[in-house]
Amino acid sequence: MKNYHDAFARTLDTVRTQSAAISDRSLPMYQVAFETDIDVLNYALTLEHLEAAFYEASGEYDLGTDGFGNNINEWMGVVGQHEADHVTTLTQVITDLGGMPVERANYDFGVTDAASFLATAMVLENVGVAAYDGAGQFIQNTDLLTAAGSIVAVEARHAAYLNLLNLESPFPAAFETPMTPDEVLGAAGGFITD
Amino acid sequence: MKITTADQMLHELTTATMNRRRMLINAGIASAALAAPITFGKVSAQMDATPDDVPFESPVDVLNYALTLEHLEAAFYRDGLASIGREGITTWGYQDTVFDNLVAIGEHEAEHVAVLTQVITDLGGMPVEEAMYDFGYEDAVGFLQVAQALEDTGVAAYQGAAQYLIDSDELLTAALTIHGVEARHAAYIALLNGAVPFPAAVNPTLTPAEVLEIATPFIVS
Repeated sequence: MKNYHDAFARTLDTVRTQSAAISDRSLPMYQVAFETDIDVLNYALTLEHLEAAFYEASGEYDLGTDGFGNNINEWMGVVGQHEADHVTTLTQVITDLGGMPVERANYDFGVTDAASFLATAMVLENVGVAAYDGAGQFIQNTDLLTAAGSIVAVEARHAAYLNLLNLESPFPAAFETPMTPDEVLGAAGGFITD
Repeated sequence: MKITTADQMLHELTTATMNRRRMLINAGIASAALAAPITFGKVSAQMDATPDDVPFESPVDVLNYALTLEHLEAAFYRDGLASIGREGITTWGYQDTVFDNLVAIGEHEAEHVAVLTQVITDLGGMPVEEAMYDFGYEDAVGFLQVAQALEDTGVAAYQGAAQYLIDSDELLTAALTIHGVEARHAAYIALLNGAVPFPAAVNPTLTPAEVLEIATPFIVS
């Protein structure tokens, strides 16, 4: 049975031969990374599982009201449903392509209160955007690329809102900063317990 | 009929990437993946239809398409915020930081213009220039409604065009890093307008033809 360690380990194996960044804007570029589109999709699914599991606990904290008068608990429920939808869709597409979708793992997000819940949510969403942006170049099929784009845009929308809730700029720079799988593992791997 | 999320996504794909078949044929791609039923089955009915023309002949064309939209956005915020002013925003009950955030958005669009112009030039292309625009708003409320239309269109446009950069990893990644920022802008503007910042699990995708239909009325000359 596959688990997240396997997924991440395989991901790391495939990028171990990565070259130095060849772009003058230091975009992450590799000689070898994901071998197939299924690998990229499983990488995305790993993160979506993480996010979907995280938001299941949103009802445990009183998150209050945002500066626009919206009930934050209600909207975290919406965000969580989006992540669950992404899990369902990616699992289905990977299966239809003949792949083996990674399964949900066990997580420990270290959340103790409303503030740490929203701070962790912000990290997850921003890492999610950076992960998709870093992995997009490895997708070989145009349809799957468009599908990934339609998900990452929603992650970016989530990230903007969560930044605001954490009193950060919703759009800190004119360009997103893509992350390599290594960097994503460093940022989110600690949440995975087994 | 119950529509699952996967179906909805596939509907997005099949309706928004009308030129896919032609692209794939041109690229000579005939892999087993093409036969995967859920991803491609729905397009098979279109086999006999006349394929649309590929909208872009080169990466430079794709970048100029993006630049056209970025010019539109950059001019919109630059001129609009200059004429409305900080008071024009706060008068409508928005917090003071809203004006600063709108200025930041405008600066992002200007940066996108500068970078795209530079990259197109570096690639030996001729970057499109800023045009004359008429956005038709009369006050801050109208301004923010147009802003939402522009940002939502921008996100959907990058999504629809990304596939045409698939053979150029660096340009694709660069486009994606702009795409995400447009989505952040769109979410924020939606909040200002009392709308949901993330209306669906899957962001809509627009073809170049659909985008031009939305954007062209703003372009005077």
